[in-house]
Amino acid sequence: MSAARPAWRRQLRALLLKDLRLELRTRDTVVAMLLFAIVAMTIFQFAVGSRGEDLTPAAGGILWAVLALTAVLGVGRSWVPEREQRVLDGILGAPVPRDVLMAAKAGAIYAYLLAVEIVAVPVMALFFIREPDPVDLLLIGVVCLIANVGIAVLGSLLAVLALFARARELLLPVLFLPSLLPVVIAAAGATHAVAAGTNDLAEYRGYCLFLGVYAVIFGLVAYATYEHVFDD
Amino acid sequence: MTDARPSRRLAVTGGVSAALVLLATYGVFFVAPEDADQGIIQKIFYFHVAIAIVGLGAFGVAAIYGIRYLRSRDERFDEISSISIGIGLAFSVLVVITGSIWAKASWGTWWVWTDPRLVTFLIVLLLYAAYFVLRSSAEGERQARYSAVYSVAAFASVPLSFYSVRVARSFVHPVVFTQNGADMPNSMLIWFVVTLLATVGVFLTLLQIELVQRRADRALRRVKARLEATA
Repeated sequence: MSAARPAWRRQLRALLLKDLRLELRTRDTVVAMLLFAIVAMTIFQFAVGSRGEDLTPAAGGILWAVLALTAVLGVGRSWVPEREQRVLDGILGAPVPRDVLMAAKAGAIYAYLLAVEIVAVPVMALFFIREPDPVDLLLIGVVCLIANVGIAVLGSLLAVLALFARARELLLPVLFLPSLLPVVIAAAGATHAVAAGTNDLAEYRGYCLFLGVYAVIFGLVAYATYEHVFDD
Repeated sequence: MTDARPSRRLAVTGGVSAALVLLATYGVFFVAPEDADQGIIQKIFYFHVAIAIVGLGAFGVAAIYGIRYLRSRDERFDEISSISIGIGLAFSVLVVITGSIWAKASWGTWWVWTDPRLVTFLIVLLLYAAYFVLRSSAEGERQARYSAVYSVAAFASVPLSFYSVRVARSFVHPVVFTQNGADMPNSMLIWFVVTLLATVGVFLTLLQIELVQRRADRALRRVKARLEATA
């Protein structure tokens, strides 16, 4: 019964569906993110692998450097529809708890990232891994599922800080990328552990655990500070 | 009339810190035994590690005062938080520089990317440099509020950087403090503790100088406003 469902779950669903429906109709953000990711991979190819060397050992690093930059793009776009159409005033005025608002935005960012990764990970394997193994791709998919949580949570928090500040397009990468470095280190390490042909599962698990811890810590930080990021 | 107590407190802290710095320098170079393995270059460890610990402590102080600001909206807490981050940032630069000197002496290169701890200090540096970018682009009451939120978020990544040392497996960086206590003889440990205290003293002195200066600045502006009002 929908009436028995707690209010926050209905609000979360409504807000998340609003973002996803808007994205499905306009396809502004995800298409741009995906194109950016592929262009960035091509740049990496010419910047580091132009002498025809095998880039398999660097594939994990390239993938996550590209995904981190793509995430900045997606996070930067995430509040734009609200700002342009003055939807934000309406949402902030509605009796929606701020934590539900943040969680919905994190969910939308998570979905954008996942949509990009579904294409970007196979493309990365095609471009940079000499003999890609489907099982390895599934394991990299798991890394994406865990890493996206941390990226989306932190991204939704910092995006609001950048939203109300001056020079927000410049500010967001400067704020977001240093905090994202641990994710890049661990996710690239996990990807490398399975993609480079060594299949070091102990190392893979260690890095995945780290990504989980990262997501939990920033989840707590976001939960502790969310009510202070929106104007009263 | 402005209160004279902060200035007096500053004089006391400054004096004690200066004495401790002199004592630590004397002790480290003339009393503490020379390391059998590394020789004279090991001396930099006393300052390197002490500055690293106090630098991270400064970021901790900033996060605590950030939280206190968010709870009370008292501007003094925001002031302490932002000054602490400034000092912590300066200390982090010193940590990276002294670490780099040590790396050159013991491993032969100025920078070792395979050593996660040196690299994570660089990350911490970038992280807190962004704090001032945020601070300068937010205005009014938002400035303090956003700074406080960011000081908490940034401090959360400090334990992550330490955790990454254990996960990413350091092969190079000497780990001085293990779970079994400090890995050094007592004659060295004493001088390390003195250096650590001296560094804490330097941090407190710098913090108070900045606080006194900002207070004076505010008092001056008040006087100016009053003069303009009467003129």
